[in-house]
Amino acid sequence: MELWGGMLRALLSGSGRRGGALGWAFSSWRPHLPQAGLLSATELVNQWTAIFEKRGIPEARESSEYIVAHVLGAKTFQSMSPALRTQPLTPWQLQCIQELSSHRLQRMPVQYILGEWDFQGLSLKMAPPVFIPRPETEELVDWVLEEVTQKPHVVEAQGGPLVLDVGCGSGAISLSLLSRLPQSRVLAVDKGEAAISLTRENAQRLQLQDRIRIVPLDVTLEGSWTHLLPWGPVDLVVSNPPYIFRQDMEQLAPEIQSYEDPAALDGGEKGMDIIIHVLALASRLLKDPGSLFLEVDPRHPELIGNWLQSRPDLSLDLVAVRRDFCGRPRFLHVRRSGPQAGCPVAAWPGPQPARLPG
Amino acid sequence: MRSHLLRSAARCLRARPAVAPARRHLSCRSPPLEELFARGGPLRTFLERQARSESPLQVGGPELVAVAKLLSEKEQELRETEHLLHDDNEDLRKLAENEITSCQKAIAQLKHQIILLLVPSEETDENDLILEVTAGVGGQEAMLFTSEMFDMYQQYAAFKRWHFETLEYFPSEIGGLRHASASLGGPEAYKHMKFEGGVHRVQRVPKTEKQGRIHTSTMTVAILPQPTEINLVINPKDLRIDTKRASGAGGQHVNTTDSAVRIVHLPTGVVSECQQERSQLKNKEMAMKKLRAKLYSMHLEEETSKRYNARKIQIGSKGRSEKIRTYNFPQNRVTDHRINKSLHDLETFMQGEYLLDELVQSLKDYADYESLVDVISKKL
Repeated sequence: MELWGGMLRALLSGSGRRGGALGWAFSSWRPHLPQAGLLSATELVNQWTAIFEKRGIPEARESSEYIVAHVLGAKTFQSMSPALRTQPLTPWQLQCIQELSSHRLQRMPVQYILGEWDFQGLSLKMAPPVFIPRPETEELVDWVLEEVTQKPHVVEAQGGPLVLDVGCGSGAISLSLLSRLPQSRVLAVDKGEAAISLTRENAQRLQLQDRIRIVPLDVTLEGSWTHLLPWGPVDLVVSNPPYIFRQDMEQLAPEIQSYEDPAALDGGEKGMDIIIHVLALASRLLKDPGSLFLEVDPRHPELIGNWLQSRPDLSLDLVAVRRDFCGRPRFLHVRRSGPQAGCPVAAWPGPQPARLPG
Repeated sequence: MRSHLLRSAARCLRARPAVAPARRHLSCRSPPLEELFARGGPLRTFLERQARSESPLQVGGPELVAVAKLLSEKEQELRETEHLLHDDNEDLRKLAENEITSCQKAIAQLKHQIILLLVPSEETDENDLILEVTAGVGGQEAMLFTSEMFDMYQQYAAFKRWHFETLEYFPSEIGGLRHASASLGGPEAYKHMKFEGGVHRVQRVPKTEKQGRIHTSTMTVAILPQPTEINLVINPKDLRIDTKRASGAGGQHVNTTDSAVRIVHLPTGVVSECQQERSQLKNKEMAMKKLRAKLYSMHLEEETSKRYNARKIQIGSKGRSEKIRTYNFPQNRVTDHRINKSLHDLETFMQGEYLLDELVQSLKDYADYESLVDVISKKL
């Protein structure tokens, strides 16, 4: 075992996988070659866990389990059958695992290494630097679903709500809402080019592309909301905007700092920079009645409540705060409280604002 | 006289399709059920009392009285028609033969209906369920057998077109299974699976045995009905939900992949965990499912333990400690000790298809018989 671990370390230290003296161990073009030890998935997980631990990689065991399971076609190690765990791996599988694990040694997030992750029961493609959805956001989606399905007065849309997702990232919020609300349509915007194309790709993989409109948009730009006018007022706005306080940015783990787009995380000095633009946008585009659901930092509910009180012109009220599974105030329900002054409601094009141009 | 009988025979023939169709397919009923219907037997007495009674019993109610009446009419008809078998007229004899066959069919259906009306259906019969398998005595061999049993039930679910979702899985080093659980759902899933709970014994030469000796090992199956939203209400305040994100800022500040969820029901101390999925929300849903099933079966056991005490076929934790079945590989036989029934061809049986289904059906019939006896002996 120690020998094998030593071999792996030698390989990883970059002495050239191809030409190195140990290259034969992983050569897929000679599969008949007797393999050193005929390692099983369980043994490999243990070896890589030890290596990760030694190199100070966080979640060492989880990381090696996810990587090995992924190469063997399973989502989690826990869901693998006993046979799959004990049978010897092929040289090709060993090579794959080794390659993926070497990324982990560089602190790449597991979700990027696997190239996919699950959210609300959907498997989504993940690609750097697009923000990786966090489990808290699954709860945000749950809340929206709860309000839409149990309290129809929140959404008075006929035929299903039109939802605006601000900062769609990988498309996690948009696509999970679309898959759970078969009548709904979504307008997804993001300023990042990579996010726009990843959302598009995920929509196609999940066969949801017909009910989503993906628009590149920077909501911080003056008058950006006018670009969304052609799609009409919306029933719901949902957003997980960048909300990290600037001073916290430096303390983020290397996985986040070196791989995820800071623009999806950095919310400015008080984490409010993007949030206030989302609120302004919601005030412009929400129907009356209409609701905005936000994920925020636990310090934000108070800040946002105060800010909204100082801006009665937006006609938005903070009506509910919900805690996440760790008990932190994390989600906000903001409701439109009447027609907004100066909102050109009459200017909406036509009586069928909900139709999405193909 | 003869013409009268013929007319009545003809009427019966015409009337036959009007007999209410059986609610489930007619299976080969086990003999004890047939015996209950014997003339002068306890079930007959019971039915006659029901017919005379001013206020018929809750079970079955007026429908039972009506069906019982139909049954005795049919039987009367059958007896009368039987005389015609000795008639000189050949045409009449043929007609009588046909008549008798159809009468017998109708009688079988009516008896079946009576059983359905009398056997109380359990509150949980239509529910989904949680299947738990746990290796018992016998070390690695018991774990290997546990793994085979888990596969068998997974295949049985596919055979019955039920959904099957593994909730947890703890394998042993050499490919066996220490413990696993799964969620099953579909038409009458619990009604079928509830008889599988108990200790299953295997007798064979283990793969790990070098000297060819036969070992005896065991594994345990538990079947927990999954409560509906109405069956069981849990106060969210009674739950503690543990995740790996409990410390630190959470949200966008951290990116963890450990999605395991552990739920503790504080008043009872019952714990449920899940780490089968990459999505934490999905793990929480599955852990919750398991927790609800555990709490519900605890609740049910309190209610039903008295009712079932005397029966051979035990449901719930009482049955869990009882050796219910032996899988004897050298003799290629599986024997269910509760009804003393043996089936051969173990390999086919372990595929979880029609042979397992046949045994389950026999158990269901026997359980029906037992609860029928319960019902009539109580009211005599």
